[in-house]
Amino acid sequence: MLAGVAGAAALALPRPAQAQAKARGDYGFAPVQVAPGVWLIEGARQSLSPANGGAIANIALLETPQGAIVIDTGSTARMGAEIRAFADQRLGGVVTTLITHHHPDHWFGNAAFADAPLLSLGATALAARANAQGYSDALYALLGSWMSGTTPVPPAPRIETGRQVIAGRGLRLLPLCGHTQADLAILDEATGTLIAGDLLFLDRAPSLPDADLTLWQASLAQLGALSPAGTIPGHGPYHRSLAALTQTRACLAANDARLAQAAALGLSPAEAMAAGPVPEFARLGANPEEYHRSVSQRWSSYEDRALRKIRAA
Amino acid sequence: MAELLMHLLPGGAEAAAQSRELTPEGQSDPFDSGIWPLHRKEFLGDPTDWANDPKVVLLGPQAAENAAHVPFILDATALASGGSRVARIVVTIDYSPIPVALTFWPGRALPLLGFGVKYEGSGPLRASAERQDGSWRMAARFVSAIGGGCTTPAAAHGRPDWQEGFGEMRARFWPDTGRLRVWLRHPQDTGLAAGIAAHHLTEMVLSDPAGEIARLELHQPVEENPAFTFQLPPGLTAPLTIRARDTMGYRFDGVVAA
Repeated sequence: MLAGVAGAAALALPRPAQAQAKARGDYGFAPVQVAPGVWLIEGARQSLSPANGGAIANIALLETPQGAIVIDTGSTARMGAEIRAFADQRLGGVVTTLITHHHPDHWFGNAAFADAPLLSLGATALAARANAQGYSDALYALLGSWMSGTTPVPPAPRIETGRQVIAGRGLRLLPLCGHTQADLAILDEATGTLIAGDLLFLDRAPSLPDADLTLWQASLAQLGALSPAGTIPGHGPYHRSLAALTQTRACLAANDARLAQAAALGLSPAEAMAAGPVPEFARLGANPEEYHRSVSQRWSSYEDRALRKIRAA
Repeated sequence: MAELLMHLLPGGAEAAAQSRELTPEGQSDPFDSGIWPLHRKEFLGDPTDWANDPKVVLLGPQAAENAAHVPFILDATALASGGSRVARIVVTIDYSPIPVALTFWPGRALPLLGFGVKYEGSGPLRASAERQDGSWRMAARFVSAIGGGCTTPAAAHGRPDWQEGFGEMRARFWPDTGRLRVWLRHPQDTGLAAGIAAHHLTEMVLSDPAGEIARLELHQPVEENPAFTFQLPPGLTAPLTIRARDTMGYRFDGVVAA
């Protein structure tokens, strides 16, 4: 079933134009209109690397008569600037920018948008500020010269959730969590498009460094209840079905079961890593790296359950 | 290889076989590391009979997601088929400010050990196994790490209540596979972080009523709240005792049913 979902998704839209980016030293984005007034710059379905310049997260832009509502800004100053240039040249400027969560591949392009509101949930703003230096160090180490000139500009926590009309476009802003402690999902009323941030992944392995799987699954249930006409996941292609929801839900459950099983059988984390991802999901973009990361990040919580206390503190 | 347990997970046997780079045979350093001849001389006693050997399996991540907790497992059980048991295994990290992480005397246990270390920068970790005939056989793995290891304060010291939970020990023995996993809450301070004195484990000993089974000598690069995997011989029935101690004289004892 999964292979069918993945195959259908891959056919839904042209692949992102990453190949041209490196040769010119810029990203060469080719935004695609996936629904009326909904533009997508799809990230590479990979981990951060010099080959993709850090352009791995999806960027969505919603047209309004006053300019674009920009959702997430990418990993680098240059990436933000190219997104901004598209908004200025084709969509009449920028009305506001919404940041879905605090992971740096979604907001390190913020500097290009600092002249208009740059909003997020409160916990996102706090986490972005607290982690800014560490993320910056890590991105410079991973991306090298692509990071030139990038200074973190954390978003402000002034967002109001629920139904909002921004420059005439009706949105439902949903304050959810589970992928991180604060995940903003946005439903565009005019088209029924759900812009889910990293609550949804499709054909790209989910990242779990700050995940709470129970909360995440509860958030997915809420997203499913919205019955969106199409979904833009945080990573992976737009699709006019619930493919991303189905796949994300299954992938999280399978990863959870695998780590619990490994710890209960007495494996060490190095063995759990070497065993690789659940076979059904091994071919997702950014695997096995994301699986390896998930073992590093989550192992102790599974081992806490598998081991027994034999000496009190 | 039979002693590693990846095959218990679906797809694990195939994935492990694919992901494992075989250690090249012979005396050339696959990582061409300038410091390795010095480490070999200082920490292994400058042996003449040494070689990289694919029989020493060393698994670890290519990239350190968390430089304070980089997990490895080494399996030198295949060396014993050569007729000479493994007497000790020395784990070193090239260019680490403190290069020796631990020394393992397997004794009656199998020469297999799971452990975690801190990484100060990218570099190879090496497992060097000395057989009873004095020959050394080795494996190494390179880890890409962006730092924050030995010179970063332990996470525990970020809290005023770091002593809470200090010394808690968790463990479990799996009789069917001979696995023993031991976890101990300890800050493992290296002494290299500003204003925080060295405070780390120095020894862990496994024993049963017949006496010592295996022994670990531990140093600063071992991870905070360390966990270890041992592979015990078949037929252990009495309770297993785990004893550890640290640089400040604290002792930590626990008992696991065998």
